[in-house]
Amino acid sequence: MNFVLNLSFSDLLLLLPEIFLTCWLCVVITVDFVSPRLPKERLAYLSVGGLLATLGCLAWFDVNQVSGTLFGNMFVLDRMAIFFKIFILGSTTLVILASIEYVDRFTLFRGEYYALVVMSALGMMFMASANDLLSVFVSLEFSTLGFYILVSYLRDDLASNEAGLKFFILGVFAAGLFAYGISLVYGETGKLVFSDMASAPATPGLIIGFLLIFAALGFKIGAVPFHSWIPDTYHGAPTPVTAFLSIAPKGAALAILLRIFIVALGTFKPTWIYLLVVVSIVSMTYGNIVAIAQRNIKRLLAYSGIAQIGNVLIGLAAGTKMGNDAILFYLLAYLFANIGAFAVVIAVSQAIGRDEIEDYRGLGRRSPFLAFSMLLFLLSLAGVPPLAGFIGKLYIFIAAIKEGLYTLITVGLINIVISMYYYLIVVKQMYINEPIDPSPISIRGHMKAVIYVGLAGTLVIGIYPQPFTDWVVAATLMFANFVTPAATITPPTLLIGS
Amino acid sequence: MGEYALLYILFAPFVGALGLIFVSNRQPTLVRGIAASAAFVSLVASLYIFYGYDPVQGGFQFVQKFAWSKELGIALYLGVDGIGTPLVLASSILLFAGIFVSWHIKDRAKEFYIWLLILAAATIGVFMSLDLFFLYFFYEMSVIPMYLLLGMWGSHTKKYLEMTDPEGLKQRDSVGFIFNFGSNSKEYAAMKLVLFLSAFAVAALMGILLIYKFSGLNTFDILVLREQANLMNIPVLGTTLDKIIWILVFFGFASIAPIWPLHSWSPVGHAAAPAATSMLHAGVLMKLGHFSIIRVAFEILPETTRELMPIAAVLCMFSIIYGGFVAFYAKDTKYVIGYSSSSHMGYVFLGMAALNYISLSGAVIYMFAHAMATGMLFAMAGWVYDQTHTRDIPSLGGLSNKMPFISGCFIVGCMASIGMPGTVNFVAEIMIVVGSWNKYPLQVIVAMLGIVLTLAYLFKMMRGLFYGPMNQKYSHAHDAVGTVDRLPLLMMITISIGFGIFPMHLYEVVRSGVDPLIARITQVVPVAKSDEGSRSVKAAAEITQPPAIPMVSHKPIAQVSEASRGGQE
Repeated sequence: MNFVLNLSFSDLLLLLPEIFLTCWLCVVITVDFVSPRLPKERLAYLSVGGLLATLGCLAWFDVNQVSGTLFGNMFVLDRMAIFFKIFILGSTTLVILASIEYVDRFTLFRGEYYALVVMSALGMMFMASANDLLSVFVSLEFSTLGFYILVSYLRDDLASNEAGLKFFILGVFAAGLFAYGISLVYGETGKLVFSDMASAPATPGLIIGFLLIFAALGFKIGAVPFHSWIPDTYHGAPTPVTAFLSIAPKGAALAILLRIFIVALGTFKPTWIYLLVVVSIVSMTYGNIVAIAQRNIKRLLAYSGIAQIGNVLIGLAAGTKMGNDAILFYLLAYLFANIGAFAVVIAVSQAIGRDEIEDYRGLGRRSPFLAFSMLLFLLSLAGVPPLAGFIGKLYIFIAAIKEGLYTLITVGLINIVISMYYYLIVVKQMYINEPIDPSPISIRGHMKAVIYVGLAGTLVIGIYPQPFTDWVVAATLMFANFVTPAATITPPTLLIGS
Repeated sequence: MGEYALLYILFAPFVGALGLIFVSNRQPTLVRGIAASAAFVSLVASLYIFYGYDPVQGGFQFVQKFAWSKELGIALYLGVDGIGTPLVLASSILLFAGIFVSWHIKDRAKEFYIWLLILAAATIGVFMSLDLFFLYFFYEMSVIPMYLLLGMWGSHTKKYLEMTDPEGLKQRDSVGFIFNFGSNSKEYAAMKLVLFLSAFAVAALMGILLIYKFSGLNTFDILVLREQANLMNIPVLGTTLDKIIWILVFFGFASIAPIWPLHSWSPVGHAAAPAATSMLHAGVLMKLGHFSIIRVAFEILPETTRELMPIAAVLCMFSIIYGGFVAFYAKDTKYVIGYSSSSHMGYVFLGMAALNYISLSGAVIYMFAHAMATGMLFAMAGWVYDQTHTRDIPSLGGLSNKMPFISGCFIVGCMASIGMPGTVNFVAEIMIVVGSWNKYPLQVIVAMLGIVLTLAYLFKMMRGLFYGPMNQKYSHAHDAVGTVDRLPLLMMITISIGFGIFPMHLYEVVRSGVDPLIARITQVVPVAKSDEGSRSVKAAAEITQPPAIPMVSHKPIAQVSEASRGGQE
């Protein structure tokens, strides 16, 4: 393998969003450094400006179908990478807007907060484009580095420190597993780029290597049994960081999982389908059942996120192009509902100072707007029509039923009902119970903007999904070349009868 | 305008709900005005499709189709046949009436009307969906508004309100109240309703997904699926696939109907709901079950339906008798009407199970008739509750002095519920009974017994509420005096009696929907239904009773039936 850097201008064009964002990151840090008295709100707007410019650039790429690979196939820019970059940057923008008020709670380094958020986003952008194991590892650690700091940003809060430490220790452990997995895979195949591995024979070393890699990525997306850090970290971290953590890294890690499972391991589908089916069933069931017992809204959303990932893995288990489309679509629905729900949590905790579910008593009277938004976001997460989450779930189920994954769909459907219970408990607190303190809750403009974006996304995707399905279908076109074995090879236990 | 009528019916309530979001609760007149006008548009358009529906032509009319998702094979495909048309009309009538019944709601009136309109629109959406996806979409969409309507504007049972000791209070507020079956709070009722219906709805969704997968047509279009889907004879789990799908779809949708072992959410839900919600719930929401079974199981799996429909014939007996006896012993006005509704839904299942032209038409007309009758009863029970703030029958009594109008209407409501000749319920009941006699005599006897039971518990309740000594605590109660209060009741009474005396158009519309369906299921071809004979019956008008001739569903009977009806005249 030779790493001759032979970059032309058109190659650099592929890297333009990343290069631009890196420069912008430096600008944000410099501005913060040069004029420390500048209101930090301005820094937020500055970061959002850069992110929006990058989003515009990516949208231009998407429309003009710019694609290509760089650095000996390490970096790939295809439409799926563009989709995930837009997903990541979109969530980053919304998170920054949602955190403007919250940042006042930090005692120190308020300016650096925005820089760290953008830096993590940058790392995740590379994750979305990573096409070999090395670049995956480097970009993964790059983005996680920012998160380690962000999670423990509330310096004086023990819970935040605990969250950061837990996340760090387990994260580093996962990184170790990942590195070990890479070494095994490289040792067995002599390849690092995903598409080169497609024809490798299944040796025990390779299988163990991929299992280790799956464990590390499962840690990122928070699938059971790699979820143990999620509740405490989500609970202790500053709420905007929790929101960020619950959306963007999951998307980025799923981009990698899609490339690994479909491109590198496509021929082993009859084997890994067992793994995904088990992980998916356990994630959904565990996440939903444990969420019932939660008293804290952030922990509830954490467990609900675990369950949502279980749903996403149904699409991955389907292993078809339609399954991948469904995953992308589901992530879009999840993005809007989750960021909206967390924005409401932030707005409420700014007014009340706590995140317990019982603090939502009578929110329907105190702030009809917040309560109504939260209602729609939670129902979308539960999968109730006409909201985005319903179409997302149905899309995944349709993709899975075409592959004959009846067990998974049955479990998924039952889990919709279980999840409805705990989402409705929050709804009950908001609408049915009377408030103890009936004073109205005021919301600031940018928070309102985030919630409006969430509402718009949740409703528009739910009511008119055609443009979004078109988009995700186009985004995964390159998977059409990697046809996984047909459903008939699926193990007979997964099919009813036959 | 005509061809867009379905869009007006479906989207007027949605637009109304959307408009209400931007109105403040401080303008109650405007709020009610918007809600009432949205419902009015719906009602007028429903009347238009009901009278504009051409029973001679039959089939699906006023069809609208918009591509929705090509990738998934979904289209917003709307159309009504003879079965959907009366149910759409019933929904709009009950929505319109419900808005007037809840005219005096003070607390968060805007939100109440928003959810009520969404509930009604979703219900209407099911009745006109020709796409399995949208059928499920609207079905599930109608469940969630119920949670909020019950939770926010509902009422607790007496038993719950009596739990004021520390232990009781603790129990009432415990997080796990859903598992605490002792406390019949409105929250419990609302949660039970949503979880129960969702749990069975996902079973139906599984059935729908299986149809989608094994038809291999990549579409949810009911018309395409019923023509082309071949789901027969695929062996699965020791039985065949079509049976599994049928069972999933049948029980998935029958839970909302509610058929006997799956009924327990329903009376609790009725009892907790505010009057207008109970009306919609009992009047049309429960019919979603029968209608969806007809639309999905009957249309797509006719042969399996013929084979498995006896299940419904067995269960409906339990529905009728069990519901009737519980209603007889219930002490809560709304429980009585709620269980009475569960019991009466058994007749619809009986009519469906017999699978012939007369009985299925009777079942569909019964759905319409029951919507009017139970709507009236719930509206009046709601009025009594608003005046006295109790639903406990033993503590009430002698109210007819205070509310002569309501008590008079109540008698009419009871008569309609029992199926007194002159009300449309009679037409429906007699058709079900006559149509099912040959196939299920035992069930018909049980149904007759059920009518006697209905008589017993409704009269018992009427005596308990309106006659006997009056409880002086409720001397402040007053009658419905204004137009707003009387309009909904008078409207429903007029419709019930009007169709009871002139049922012919309703009958023809329903027959035009039922005939092709039964022909497909029983493989018997019906005769053209709007010949001179039936026109003359229309003129005679009082002849509401279809001919009581021997009918076996596997023989061509329609011709005989027409001839003998002429002779009877």
